[in-house]
Amino acid sequence: MNLIDRYIQEVGRYIPRRKRGDILAELRSLLVDTLEDRFGQAPSETQIEDLLKEFGRPRDVAASYYPQSQYLVGPTLYPLFRMVAWIVVAAVLGAQAIAWGIGMFVAGETFSTLEMIASLVNSVPVSLGWLLITFMVLQYFDAKPHLEEDPWDPQKLPEINPEQDLKRWEVITGLVFGILALVLVTFFPQWIGFITTPGGKFYPNPIILDYLVLIKIALTAGIGLNLFLLWRGRWALTTRLLRIGLDIYDVFVLALLVIGHNEWLTARSAGGFLDAIEAIEGIADGGWELVGMQAFRLAFAVALIVTVIEILTSIYRLIKSRLRSDFSAKNAVLKVE
Amino acid sequence: MMMANVQSEQYQKLTQELRRGILVLAALSQLKEEKYGYALISSLAEKGLDIEQGTLYPLLRRLEDQGLLVSEWNVEGSRPRRYYVLSESGRNTLQDLAEDWRQLTGVMELLLAANANGGE
Repeated sequence: MNLIDRYIQEVGRYIPRRKRGDILAELRSLLVDTLEDRFGQAPSETQIEDLLKEFGRPRDVAASYYPQSQYLVGPTLYPLFRMVAWIVVAAVLGAQAIAWGIGMFVAGETFSTLEMIASLVNSVPVSLGWLLITFMVLQYFDAKPHLEEDPWDPQKLPEINPEQDLKRWEVITGLVFGILALVLVTFFPQWIGFITTPGGKFYPNPIILDYLVLIKIALTAGIGLNLFLLWRGRWALTTRLLRIGLDIYDVFVLALLVIGHNEWLTARSAGGFLDAIEAIEGIADGGWELVGMQAFRLAFAVALIVTVIEILTSIYRLIKSRLRSDFSAKNAVLKVE
Repeated sequence: MMMANVQSEQYQKLTQELRRGILVLAALSQLKEEKYGYALISSLAEKGLDIEQGTLYPLLRRLEDQGLLVSEWNVEGSRPRRYYVLSESGRNTLQDLAEDWRQLTGVMELLLAANANGGE
């Protein structure tokens, strides 16, 4: 747990996974060789710090492993761009498939193959185009010299802390579902609802339509945070606080949705859980609508409970992370290898 | 004062470009026998060519990708090190580049000499 480890960890954030191990091993070897040659077996922390300053910022060191040229999306951003591009394509195709599915099997619409191809030819490049423009803007601002004004200080490298490790699959899954849900609520909100098994009648969910703006804000903020987490590659105090803040907002929105469903059901004398089961008997009289809304209420209530648990877990992790960070800072022992 | 700074910055960039151009040849010339990165940096520094630490490894990797070098990890020493050496293609390229270099330096000497004479 020393500056070299932290430096190597930071450089690794900017290097594609495939080449990371090899490049980092080599970089470590070069750093340690240089230290040993200059200062012997036991260099001081100041000497290590000076060497790291000489080597340069981790991002620059990582960037030097890529061919030098002008970029629309440079090496620092490219791995994230590529990953998000695949996620966006998958989410757009998924949302399109769901929309077609609902349109054909629920709303009884028909789409010709040509229409479907035309729709894909439109939606995929447009989504990718916007993504590219977003990254070009990021690239442009990243290239601004004033962003590099802070003098490069190895002591500011993040501590190595397992609590800060990011479970990428969790973030990517969140991102995929977030984008999918956002596409659905933005373009096809009228198709969020339920279908009765007998009769095949489709009911849109009126409560979701009422709170559409709040839902979109929650989804967009969640996508933004997940993108930022992928970009940073680990948790930090600010992102943990942001996650807690967003989760609290989600709880608020979910509570509104549960209350909205409650009121809707109570107005139809089906506020209780058992009422839904009784309603099944009256299917012919629109009882399925009550069952469907009960199911939505249950789903939102479960999501509410899960989110509250997530908030408590996040607070626990945050406290644990801070304690560990304080502990390691006080007990850091300098070892070159 | 500002103009002097701009000129100095410009000069630094030009020098960097000039040096960047010769790094490939310099590195290849020292890798007839296998060396690990730091040994190569030291070897070049001893002969008067300082190379930035962060420049060498990416360069070595590019040369390896181009098939001019081959490398392997050696774990027998005090710590694992990656050793680089010229490949067959690298040896031929070194020979060709060295020949080009000699011609270029000859031409440049002539040009600079003519320039110096013209300025007098």
